[in-house]
Amino acid sequence: MPDLILFFGSNADTMIATKALKDAGVAAKMIPKPASVAASSNLCLSIDPGAESQAKSALTTAGVALGGVVK
Amino acid sequence: MKMSLRVRLLGTIIGAIVLFFIISIVAARLVLSSDLLEQGKTEVTNGAGAFGGYWDSRKDQIKLLVAQDAVQDALRKNLQTGNAAALQDQLSNIARTSGLSFLTVVDANGNVVARANGPQKGSLKGNSLIQRALTGETVSTATLLDATFLTGEGLAPQAQSDIKGADGSTVAHVDKGLSIVSAAPISDANERTIGAIYGGVLMNHYYDLVDQAKHALGGSSAVLEGDAIVASTIDQADGTRTVDVQVGPAGDVVKSGTAYTGSDTQGGTEYLVHIDPIQDDQNTVVGARWYGIPMSQIDAIINHITLTLLLWGLVAMVLALAIAVPIVQRLSNTLTKRSQQVRSAAKELGVIIVGSEVSGDHVTLTKEAVDRSATLVDQIAAGDTGKVAELKAVNEELQNDMIVLDTLSGEMATRMKQAVDRVAELNEVAGGLNVLVTGEAS
Repeated sequence: MPDLILFFGSNADTMIATKALKDAGVAAKMIPKPASVAASSNLCLSIDPGAESQAKSALTTAGVALGGVVK
Repeated sequence: MKMSLRVRLLGTIIGAIVLFFIISIVAARLVLSSDLLEQGKTEVTNGAGAFGGYWDSRKDQIKLLVAQDAVQDALRKNLQTGNAAALQDQLSNIARTSGLSFLTVVDANGNVVARANGPQKGSLKGNSLIQRALTGETVSTATLLDATFLTGEGLAPQAQSDIKGADGSTVAHVDKGLSIVSAAPISDANERTIGAIYGGVLMNHYYDLVDQAKHALGGSSAVLEGDAIVASTIDQADGTRTVDVQVGPAGDVVKSGTAYTGSDTQGGTEYLVHIDPIQDDQNTVVGARWYGIPMSQIDAIINHITLTLLLWGLVAMVLALAIAVPIVQRLSNTLTKRSQQVRSAAKELGVIIVGSEVSGDHVTLTKEAVDRSATLVDQIAAGDTGKVAELKAVNEELQNDMIVLDTLSGEMATRMKQAVDRVAELNEVAGGLNVLVTGEAS
């Protein structure tokens, strides 16, 4: 199953999101932004598609704005 | 509800000013009430003293008139000859021109020879003042004339009245008359007492004296027989004089013979009054003099000063706020700016801390990938060529990790540089706050 890619407005937001997901128990791997994704950040996160809702909830709680989701 | 610092500071200033203002007004009003009441008591006491002066002056005037009449040759001759008709004409003229209510001549036995007010005869030998005059003494005093005497002088209707209480009901009937009288001996050429002359002014419903006092002193004045007003300048609601009514506080004055200063309500108006007892020649209290000023005069002064303080206080409050608002605004703006600087710095420093942790985690993951790669290389070298595809995937992962690490490294380097600037900025913020709070540069 392909991973779900989350991207954010900046690299700093990506770092904060990584920490927030880690604290919430959602496994996320930081990867370079795919060429097909249009985002201002160079980095994005790869998570398991089954953890999408849990990840969004954790990001909302942490106050991190999600730039977009690519499946 | 959470309030901003600006609202709290302005609220505190306004609250302090309003509190100061209210306490000042209340204190001023209390002090004014107390001091002006004392001042008012002094004023009515002085006014009552002056009213007493008019009373004494009138008494001296009557004494002088009667004493002068006693030495008139024409009057003496008519008494000696027993010419009652001529004597009556003479007495009538004197009484009318000098404003006396009555003027009577008695012989050496106290029998009435002639009266200014009519031909009625009778005896006054029981009258203590006549008795003293017949012994050669000239006397002058306030006294209560009894109904019999007043009837004889034709003055009973002027004196008689029903006295009303505070509720309007009749509480007493007066048939005596409060008067200022004088008696003097009449002597013949040999200085032998041949009779006496007795005259005076009946104060019941006689308004010259109280009107004179009012014109000279202001306020209101009244003459009381016992505790009842028999003449006054006190206006009622309909504009008529207050007369033939009981005065509550005067009862104690008449009983004790001591003056009263305090409140009394007459004609629907509250007055601050001073009541002095009137004594006869035997020091018996026969009436009282009432002098007062409307309490509304004092209240008007208190209200005027309170209103003035209130208005000036409002002006002061507006001025204080006009000065305080810009200061608070400036202070608030400074604190807001400092707060924003601190928040911004804290956020960036927080990103660095998070970034360090995330970078550390990623380095750990990369190290695990490197270890996996080494293991796969060993396995392939041992002849397990089936692991080549897996090694290729790990290698791609390692390439991505290197890109990520490179990006994170660059990001962290930039952030660290900014953090140095932020720390310097925080130092400046701390110094600014210290100056703001303590006024001292750190």
